[in-house]
Amino acid sequence: MPPDTPPSFDDRWLVEAVRLHEAAHGPLDDAAACVAARNGAATPEGRIVERARHLGEATGLRRACAAWAGRMRLAGGVLLALMLAGGVGAGLAVAGDGGRPINVVWALGGLLGLHALGLVLWLAGFFLAGATPAGIGAAWSGLAARFAGGAPEAPRALTGLLRQGGLLRWWLGSVTHATWSAALAGALVGLTASFLLRSHVFVWETTLLSPGFFVDFVAWSGWLPARLGFPVPDAATVAASGASALADEAARRAWAWWLVGCVALYGLVPRVLLWLVCALRLAAGRRALRLDLALPAYAALAARLAPASERIGVTDAAPGRIVASQVDAGHRFSGAPTLVGIELRGDRPWPPALAAGVRDLGVADSREQRLRVRAALEGEPACRLLVACDGRLSPDRGSLGLIAEWSRHAGRCAVWLLAASGERGERWREALAEAGVTAVIEDEGRALGWLMGEWT
Amino acid sequence: MNPTRPVRLAVVGHTNTGKTSLMRTLSRDTGFGEVSSRPSTTRHVEGVRLMADGEVLVELYDTPGMEDPIALLEVLEGISGAQGERLDGPARVERFLASEPARTRFEQEAKVLRQLLASDAGFYVVDARDPVLAKHRDELAILGACAVPLLPVLNFVRSPGADEGAWREALARLGLHAVVRFDTVAPERDGERRLYEKLGTVLDAWQPALERLIGCREREARERHVAALRLVAGLLIDVAAARLRIDAGDEAIARAAVEDLSQRVRRHEQACVDALLALYRFRPDDVDADALPLVDGRWEHDLFHPETVRDMGVKLGTGAAAGAAAGMGVDLMFGGMTLGAAAAIGALAGGGVQAVRHFGDRVLGVLTGKRDLAVDDAILRLLALRELSLVAALEARGHAAVEPLRHTVEGERWREDALLPTMTRARGHPEWSALLGEADAAARERAVDALVTEIEARKAS
Repeated sequence: MPPDTPPSFDDRWLVEAVRLHEAAHGPLDDAAACVAARNGAATPEGRIVERARHLGEATGLRRACAAWAGRMRLAGGVLLALMLAGGVGAGLAVAGDGGRPINVVWALGGLLGLHALGLVLWLAGFFLAGATPAGIGAAWSGLAARFAGGAPEAPRALTGLLRQGGLLRWWLGSVTHATWSAALAGALVGLTASFLLRSHVFVWETTLLSPGFFVDFVAWSGWLPARLGFPVPDAATVAASGASALADEAARRAWAWWLVGCVALYGLVPRVLLWLVCALRLAAGRRALRLDLALPAYAALAARLAPASERIGVTDAAPGRIVASQVDAGHRFSGAPTLVGIELRGDRPWPPALAAGVRDLGVADSREQRLRVRAALEGEPACRLLVACDGRLSPDRGSLGLIAEWSRHAGRCAVWLLAASGERGERWREALAEAGVTAVIEDEGRALGWLMGEWT
Repeated sequence: MNPTRPVRLAVVGHTNTGKTSLMRTLSRDTGFGEVSSRPSTTRHVEGVRLMADGEVLVELYDTPGMEDPIALLEVLEGISGAQGERLDGPARVERFLASEPARTRFEQEAKVLRQLLASDAGFYVVDARDPVLAKHRDELAILGACAVPLLPVLNFVRSPGADEGAWREALARLGLHAVVRFDTVAPERDGERRLYEKLGTVLDAWQPALERLIGCREREARERHVAALRLVAGLLIDVAAARLRIDAGDEAIARAAVEDLSQRVRRHEQACVDALLALYRFRPDDVDADALPLVDGRWEHDLFHPETVRDMGVKLGTGAAAGAAAGMGVDLMFGGMTLGAAAAIGALAGGGVQAVRHFGDRVLGVLTGKRDLAVDDAILRLLALRELSLVAALEARGHAAVEPLRHTVEGERWREDALLPTMTRARGHPEWSALLGEADAAARERAVDALVTEIEARKAS
């Protein structure tokens, strides 16, 4: 099967069968199927279908489903043939051998009574949501399960899928109406054959009813056939057919046509129309059916087979070496001890109270401020340089490079880390150690003390 | 113009502002790149394709952090044309990229600029806890020279130290008026939608594609949510409807039956938890594993332990009385099982032919000394609370930390109010339960969907 064919109903049926199989027997080994699914389709549903196609081949479920469908088609054919034959038999039986007059109401009731009852029950079941199938539908469901053979998933998956799509009643309905259509067509054939080849006379009988009832009954029931051109016995003929059968040729022909017309128009035609409606709805529904990706099993599969993203990988590799600035203090400078801040927030008074003789170079933030600090340090290098940094910021190459650059104009260099708590403080200490800063002070008193040379 | 290729976006920003976290959140790929609080963790450029229904709509590239923008801007501004003529931004950046410093001192920054030049737009990720500094302004000046639309993304806006106002003002002064809040660790529920919508205003031509991406993400989230509720509802139906007929006279047999039923419920719950974790593609080794109320993918406390029930604030229900009345002793009562008072009421309340038949069955059972064992209401409430909190926690991954369900009004209702109607009805329909054997699939499915609707309604009310 070409991988890019859009999923058909049978494919989705297979998906459901695979799902049931996995639910009953545990997950299948689907590594190869998943790869094929990713390559074969783009949409989540397409990929789920593609996976099922592969697993269906591997487990034989596809063949099992196809075989079951074949058996069901055969069973359907046999059922239709049987119903047709039964119908012919019923038609012949109702007509009789011509020896006895046909009781018209009795014959009509015999041919249409069961059908009418079945139709009412079917309609009731159809419109009551959640009703379990009854009659032919139930028998068909039972038959479907019985014919499953070694793959109970096949019928269960089909009914499950049809139920998800709200198609189960159309499916059972089309079977029901096809069966009844066959039976009624058979009856019509039997009846017509008998009317063609045998001589029949017609009569109505009653003990309690008035003749007027039969006149009205025939007029009402014959209304539709008459519209469509069927000869219908007139009131006089009906009234005259009560006591004894009329031998009159025209009356007999009218009765026969009336009976045929009633069976065709009240029996066969509605059933064929209903079958058509059900079959068309089923066909349209099958085409429109999509897997319900909000079903837990499908949703999990969709998340696995069609992730929200795929990695492109590294498109520009990391630099082989990283240039890290190194502090370079230890020169013999005799200038004033100097304090300078880098990127300090305005949330604390700056500078702190400084001892006499300490040079304050302010806060270096922008390029101009940095240049100013550099110029000052170049003009008069410091014996001790204390750089204050905000420990709440992330250390970056720019700040570390600045400390390293300034350290060249200092006899000693230390970093006063302000508000250095948590992760970022830790990062600062690591980065400073890496840059070669040996003195990292957090306490204000100690920092200013270091600046005055009180400790080293 | 209707572009046929996916929109290409670069995620840029100062070092350690959460660029890779943004990548992870947008790609739903918790294993992407390396995330740490260490600055300059990412030194390379790495991309992901964002897909919607199999269609690649966005290419997203993670870049190294900018680390020395002040010095770089100085270098960049020093670049001029051959005869000293003035160059525009992109031309200057191109010339810089061809120069020596772009391969040595500024190699990391060069990667960022190269990627941004090749992109349709950039997300400029800002750590809103940081003050606005000169280096940030210089950084934006450099990025701006690439002449690619930039959308500032304010990260960590929910942190106490965040100064959103200062950032917005500073960005506005630099001409960046479209700004979006997006906390990569705890984004608001519709944060992603707003992010893409804002991006759409900057990238007109790709607006339809971004709309599709938003639509697809929201649909997927909805489907996953319904699937999760169906799993939970399925568990609740299976447990509520389960019914085991035992000989009430024989305590040993009854105890064995209680143990068997509890064991099945435990296994069923674990299967539901496993399915939920699989649904949300959760791996126990994920970074945010401790956001879930589980330990190694399991509930810490046994479902049938009285302590667990009490911990969740669930009152022991009618099972206690029923168990005591039946002379089954305290053990049975704490076994979390009921000899059917709830089941009997459920059967009647449920109505229908089936229910009446089952009730008749029960009457017959009482006459013949047989009783029906069912799982107590308290256990059902506990199951509902546990599983629904798990769903909430799984959905909140990458979203704001949620309050545990048991402290919410919804949790209160699960503990105090009557069971949901479909759960009560399930008491009268053992054929709905897949706990002890095969269920009537069609009927169970209908019950599950009905229960999902009721759970949603309780949550909304």
